[in-house]
Amino acid sequence: MTARAFDAGSVADARAAIPSPWRRAWTANGPGYMFLLPWFIGFFGLTVGPILISLYLSFTNFDLLTAPQWTGFDNYARMFTADPKFIASMRVTFLFVVFSVPLKLAFALCVALVLNRGMKGLPIYRAVFYLPSLLGASVAIAVLWRRLFAGDGLVNEALAMIGIQGPAWISNPRFSLWTLVILAVWQFGSPMIIFLAGLRQIPQDLYEAADIDGASRWRKFWKITLPLLTPVVFFNAIIQTIEGFKSFTPAFIISGGTGNPINSTLFYTLYLYQEAFGFLRMGYASALAWVLLAIIAAFTAFSFLTSRYWVHYED
Amino acid sequence: MSTNFDRRQFLLGSTALVAAGAVAPAFAQDPGRLRLYWWGGQARADRTNKVSDLFKSKVDPKVTIDGEYNGSFQDYWTKLDTQVAGNNTPDVLQMDYRYIYQYATKGTILALDDYIGKGLDLSDFDKDQIDGGRVGGKLYAISLGANSVAMMVNTAAFKEAGVDLPTPDWSYDDYKTASVAWNKANPRNGMRILQDGSGNEPAYENWLRQRGKALYTADGKLAWTADDLVEWFKLWDDLRANNVCVSPDNQALDANAAIETTMITLGKAATTFANSNQLIAFQKINKDPLTMVNFPRAKKGAGGGHYRKPSQFWSIASTTPAKDESVKYVSFFINDGDAGAALGVERGIPCAKHIRDAIAPTLSDQDRLALNFVSNLGDLLGPLPPVPPAAAGEIDNELQTKSQEVAFGQSTAEDAGPAFFKAATDMLARSS
Repeated sequence: MTARAFDAGSVADARAAIPSPWRRAWTANGPGYMFLLPWFIGFFGLTVGPILISLYLSFTNFDLLTAPQWTGFDNYARMFTADPKFIASMRVTFLFVVFSVPLKLAFALCVALVLNRGMKGLPIYRAVFYLPSLLGASVAIAVLWRRLFAGDGLVNEALAMIGIQGPAWISNPRFSLWTLVILAVWQFGSPMIIFLAGLRQIPQDLYEAADIDGASRWRKFWKITLPLLTPVVFFNAIIQTIEGFKSFTPAFIISGGTGNPINSTLFYTLYLYQEAFGFLRMGYASALAWVLLAIIAAFTAFSFLTSRYWVHYED
Repeated sequence: MSTNFDRRQFLLGSTALVAAGAVAPAFAQDPGRLRLYWWGGQARADRTNKVSDLFKSKVDPKVTIDGEYNGSFQDYWTKLDTQVAGNNTPDVLQMDYRYIYQYATKGTILALDDYIGKGLDLSDFDKDQIDGGRVGGKLYAISLGANSVAMMVNTAAFKEAGVDLPTPDWSYDDYKTASVAWNKANPRNGMRILQDGSGNEPAYENWLRQRGKALYTADGKLAWTADDLVEWFKLWDDLRANNVCVSPDNQALDANAAIETTMITLGKAATTFANSNQLIAFQKINKDPLTMVNFPRAKKGAGGGHYRKPSQFWSIASTTPAKDESVKYVSFFINDGDAGAALGVERGIPCAKHIRDAIAPTLSDQDRLALNFVSNLGDLLGPLPPVPPAAAGEIDNELQTKSQEVAFGQSTAEDAGPAFFKAATDMLARSS
């Protein structure tokens, strides 16, 4: 017995003599972590915590007024088997993403190409074209859009000049989603700036060589500009797709929070909001949020997997 | 693991913790302080805050009263629910007939029966308005005013069209007959005599009640059949086809019945379905002089569609540490003469008789119009319907969507009626 006690004591002594890796790390970085503490509190308390709680809530029935009740996979099952509004909102959101993202990128690229030709007053044009993105998803712009595309709005007044009587675009289920697509395309500023930066990166000697070979402008675009721009296209496509799926404010303002006419502007996020705060089904809304996360993750993963076939990095 | 803080690190860390903690409990419940929360505009806020000042000077100078309000009815509920979930319910909160069931049955608001006569004076309060605040026999909310549904009428447009103003006897058929002369005169280039009310739940309810039905039964089931709704949609199909009411894409501009986007405010129709206490608010943003009339009769001589609805209530949070003080405040709000004078009829017709009598001579013409309208409904007046079930709000939303399917021709009245009946039944089942 005494031998063991002696052994234990010597081990403890040895421990005290050699500083533990924890303690060493602390002396080196402790004050740094202390300075980061406010951020950590925010990150864990306001971001990670709520995300994990929403995962838990997605398996419950929670009406905000009383404690949540565990229901297993009921919320997810309902979504895919018995919820026509879930399907409708998916359809609207996919249509929106599928049309607004490519159109917006194409538009941004065209403007970037024009601006890249070294015109006078470039900074001014750049700022002016960028402005709509700054106003972005603001309420004011959505209200403005409502006025522009109303039955007696500016768009129809312009059409009336050439003798066409347009409908109330914003409140007609055949057109309402497309006014939102146009709104999204109009906010092409941030991908445009990134495209401009990308265009500046393309080495000029490639164009000079092509000129010597007598390549047309069109050919230079397809064989030099576009391939060398693909990393930027890739980046923009991913960012804009995520933005598209998350789009909320324009549809909320323009439809007065209803997603109408006939659910034609019922974006996924708007439906989620209705379920959570309109009908007090926080559990179901949390499940909707996690499905959206999965969809965005799947899209992003798919883009990365296919990128090696069409994205060319200049080595 | 043992960690050795040196003093500087300790100070730094604890400062950060204190700073983070200080933000949190700034507005928790406190017995010396009443928090009020309501929806409504600036006019309502001014009047309400005046009553709070009166309460402090006349009843309890020691209490602190904080009034918070939300201009948007929709956002009001979002914020309230978030506060309830965060154990931070306002002590006294405004309640609506549509939501009272939910908040009462979930235990968010306090049953007030024990306070009647002991702090809560309801001695000359209208009996139907007391009953309007009951759920399952218990009193959960105190009506702040009676109102009724009413049509806002643009009198200038009627004059321009050379059509007589609608009278209380007008049925839907009479509007249709009048629309012939109306459309011939074509006032304001395409303005119609009616809005499209096919997706307007109060209009549907009013029409049902005139036919001896209702929206909901006392036990929260649907009190109408798919055939009723088919007939309702057909009524509007006919009015739409004959240009009695506005086009579907104009009607869809009115997404959530905000006064700013109603057909009358947008100048698309000369009348709009609304509530009697809203005349003041409608007039504020309409240039043309407005008046009001009852909803159309289902057919000649049919009545009983209207009812004196509690326009809004005060309820008290079940968790408040200041129960007695809150009750005292609510009782003062509805009974004190000065408070009544400050409030006027902005929340509807006051329910305590002595207040009503006291303010009647001081009212403006339009306020008196509202008072008389609600007091003189005659054969139009029917009993107060039971408190609607929890899914009522969701069903209301869905009615608008379904009515648009019919109006835009994506569905027919015959298909949409049964489809909506089934959807509404499912929503009721899911929420119970």
